[in-house]
Amino acid sequence: MIDTIFLILSLFALAGAIGMITLSNTMHSALSFLVTVFAIAGLYALLNASFLFMVQIIIYAGAIIALLLFIVMFLNIKEDKLKEPNRYNIMLVVAIILAPVDYLLFQAFLKMPHIGDFSTTLDNFGDVKMLGNELFKGWLVPFEAISVLLLVALIGSIVLARKKERE
Amino acid sequence: MNTILVIVIVVNIIIALLFSLGAAPILVWVERRVAGFIQDRLGPNRCNIAGIRLGGLIQSFADMLKLVFKEDFRAGAIKEKFVFMLAPVIVFASAFLSYMVMPFADNLTIGKQTFVMQGLPTNLGILWFLAFAGLSIYGIILGGWASNNKYSLLGSIRAGAQVISYEASMTLAIISVLITYGSVNLVDMVNFQSKLLFGFLPAWGVVMQPLAAIIFIVTAFAEANRTPFDIAEGESEIVGGYHTEYSAMKFGLFFVGEYVAMSASSALIVTLFFGGYNLPWLGTQSLKDNFTLIMEVIIVLLPILSFFFGRWILKNNIWPKADDIRNRESRWLIRALVMINVVVIVVLGYFLYSGIGSNGVNIAVALIQIATFAIKLLLMNFVFVWVRWTLPRFRYDQLQYLGWRILLPLSIANIFITALVVVGV
Repeated sequence: MIDTIFLILSLFALAGAIGMITLSNTMHSALSFLVTVFAIAGLYALLNASFLFMVQIIIYAGAIIALLLFIVMFLNIKEDKLKEPNRYNIMLVVAIILAPVDYLLFQAFLKMPHIGDFSTTLDNFGDVKMLGNELFKGWLVPFEAISVLLLVALIGSIVLARKKERE
Repeated sequence: MNTILVIVIVVNIIIALLFSLGAAPILVWVERRVAGFIQDRLGPNRCNIAGIRLGGLIQSFADMLKLVFKEDFRAGAIKEKFVFMLAPVIVFASAFLSYMVMPFADNLTIGKQTFVMQGLPTNLGILWFLAFAGLSIYGIILGGWASNNKYSLLGSIRAGAQVISYEASMTLAIISVLITYGSVNLVDMVNFQSKLLFGFLPAWGVVMQPLAAIIFIVTAFAEANRTPFDIAEGESEIVGGYHTEYSAMKFGLFFVGEYVAMSASSALIVTLFFGGYNLPWLGTQSLKDNFTLIMEVIIVLLPILSFFFGRWILKNNIWPKADDIRNRESRWLIRALVMINVVVIVVLGYFLYSGIGSNGVNIAVALIQIATFAIKLLLMNFVFVWVRWTLPRFRYDQLQYLGWRILLPLSIANIFITALVVVGV
């Protein structure tokens, strides 16, 4: 049962990802990215990571892609402006060039500890309390560093947006 | 899987359905009658089934039937047929799903099992609400975009900008509430509010976190796209906004979805700030301890209240012609009232006489709490309707000013102060 759900969700995730890079209409590709995001949220739920499931939907689906769609609509991009010649050829060439990277990724995946054995994890390991304790006790410094990084990005984007206005 | 578990789960889902879907016709009725009252007119009150009008409630069902049987017209210019069809479904489904985590009674214990009284028992209640309430914006954005129409597109751009800006303040307001209650579980939050503050004041969220309550209520209005934040469908400027091109039941889904979303927001406001299913000064435990007294009070009060209600009906619904169909309604209502009284008093009297087991007390307390929650929900929905027919619409720049320059800094300051108090005290 769980394997079937996993396969269906993975298929959706892959189909969404492929759709995102192949569809020519920006709105359609944003929507197929949304399919991927939901499929991945479902995978998190399957892994008992309920908090991550919610956060995936709130942040990615609820905020980031909504903002993306809004910007696409706002800019009113014409479809024929986006037509590139030979885009499938370029995709093929890039895919061949990136093949060694795929191989490395696959190797890294195989060398992961506990592969295929998740029996040690508790049922509620993805719950808010467990995750919060782990995050704020074991990984406090990296967590704060990431927060500062996000803050820097936020301020940076405001500064960049202001610069354009003055020119 | 045992029988009681299955029954409780099914009952929970049915109650959640009744609160969300079943509330929609009642809310439409409340909206129209209150609008009529505020504008010094009657509102719809003629629609009847064999003379029974229930103050105009039947009109909602007639409207629903009309939407189902109307022609489903789609303009030829609409090319994105799938997205066009999907948009109202998203609005409806997200509103509906966000309702599923509202606790309408305290945890129910039958025998040795304890059940969480939510449509979907999860301990991440508030995150679930945020996740699915935020998705409704997709319906509005996609609906406006797929309509291939300038007004619709403008409407959905406005709605998108509004929801994105108000969601930030809403989430920040919720964070300060979370700091106060120390939990993301909605049942824990409500149980926190059953305590007393200074010995006499119920520790409701609105007392503990007045600023967060105000910010949350304002942003909830914006999330539900209700006046004064209904620039997404400002009739005088952009026809119907994002649902201009929709007809029949596709429009119906938008329409019902709006009411379900409003009701879900009200349910969350009641749960977070107005004590949820708690009666003020009467927590779950004190309800259970004094249950015999409560039954006696109900047996005494119910006939008295029914008498005054019946007299009010007879005073307001008597028509000079004897065979007037509307006179029949009064007779039916009085009969129904007497029947309810007799049944309730006989049942309660039997329980008083024969004693009621602990399972019985638990179920009866859950029923009282569901009724409390329903009444609070109706009052909060009334506030939504009241505001809609009282305040004019915001201009677009005023709306963004309020969202970014007033609500956002206030909610951040509130988090800061709350954290200081919680850590310091």
